[in-house]
Amino acid sequence: MNECERIENSIGPWLDHELNAAESEVVGAHVTACSRCSDARQRLEKIDRALSSVLVDEAPKIEFASFWRELKQQIEQKRPWRKRLLEQAGDWASAPRAAWAVPALIAVLIAVLSYQSYFPIWRSRNNFATVESIDSYGRNVALLREDGSKTTVIWLYQNQEGDDEAAEETPPAGPAF
Amino acid sequence: MELSDWELVQKCQSGDMSAFQELVSRHHQKVYMVILGLLRNREDALEVSQETFLRAYRKIGGFKGGSSFYTWIYRIGVNLAIDAQRRQKRNPLEFRDSMDSVLESQDEVARDPFAELHDRELRENLLKAINDLTAEHKAVIVLRTIEGLSYKDIGAILGCSEGTVMSRLHYARKKLHDKLRSFL
Repeated sequence: MNECERIENSIGPWLDHELNAAESEVVGAHVTACSRCSDARQRLEKIDRALSSVLVDEAPKIEFASFWRELKQQIEQKRPWRKRLLEQAGDWASAPRAAWAVPALIAVLIAVLSYQSYFPIWRSRNNFATVESIDSYGRNVALLREDGSKTTVIWLYQNQEGDDEAAEETPPAGPAF
Repeated sequence: MELSDWELVQKCQSGDMSAFQELVSRHHQKVYMVILGLLRNREDALEVSQETFLRAYRKIGGFKGGSSFYTWIYRIGVNLAIDAQRRQKRNPLEFRDSMDSVLESQDEVARDPFAELHDRELRENLLKAINDLTAEHKAVIVLRTIEGLSYKDIGAILGCSEGTVMSRLHYARKKLHDKLRSFL
C-alpha cells in the first residue's frame, strides 16, 4: 500500500476529527500537498453533504403535541399478557447474558452426550447372552458376555432327547461336540 | 434552570410523567430522523419512534445512567429500526412505494430546474446506494450524519468497538462513493 492509499483510508476519520493530533497533522499535510488525496477529500465531503441533505435537511419535522398524545395513549393502555411475555422474551434473547447462555448450553450438551466418558459409574452394563441353534440335530451354541468382568463364555452343547423337535430325529453318526 | 437528561430520568423513575414528557420533547425529532434514515418510510419511522419511547418508558426504572440518555434511547431505536428494516426487506414492494414518496417530497424543495435534475438524480442514486448497505453499515452512516456522534458513542449505541465503527464507516462511504462516482 503506497502513501496515498494509506492516507485515503484515513481521510474519513480525519474529517470526523477522530484521529489524534499527530495523525491528524500527517494526514492534513499530505492532503494539502497531494492533488489526488485532495480530490478524494472533496469527493468525501460531497458525499457527506449529500447525505446530510437527504437525511437531515429534508427530513420532515414531526409535531410534538400529536406525537406525545399518541405515545401517552400507548403508555396508559394496558398491554395483554402475551405481548408483555413476548417483550420480556425478546429482552432476554437480546441481552448480553444470552451470549453466555449459548456456549454454556453447548458445554452442557457435550457433557450430557459424553457422560459415559466423564462418569464411568453411570455407564450402562452391556451384558449379552444369546443361544443359537447350529443345525437341525439339536446342536446349539450359547454366547454369554459379562461386561463388568469382561468375560466371554462360548458354550457348545446338544439338546437332550425330548428337549425339542429336532431330538425326534436321529442324529447322524460322527463325533459330537 | 434547565434540568439535565439524567436529572429528568431520576424524576421519571420516581413516577414524574412530565419529566418523561420533557425527555421525549428533547429527543423525539432526532430519534425520528435516525429511524427514518434507516427505514426511509415516514409512517414506519413514526411508529418505530413511538415504540422506542414506549420501550424507554417501560424500562426507565432499570436505567442506571451508565451511558447518556440519548445513547440509551438511540440504542433502543436503532435496534427496533434494524428489526423493522429486516421485515421491510422481506416486502420490497412496500419499500418501493416508500422510496417514491420520499423522492416526491424532495422535489418540492428543489428550486433551480438544472440543479433540480442533478439533485434529483444524485438523491435518487444516493437513496438507492444507502438502501443497498447492510443494516449495520447504514446505522453508522445515519448516526454519524444526523447526530454527528463520535465513534465512541456510535460504538456504545451499536454495541461494537470504535475500530469497528471506523471500519464500517470506511466501507459504507466507499460503497456510496463507488455508486455515486458519476455524480462526484
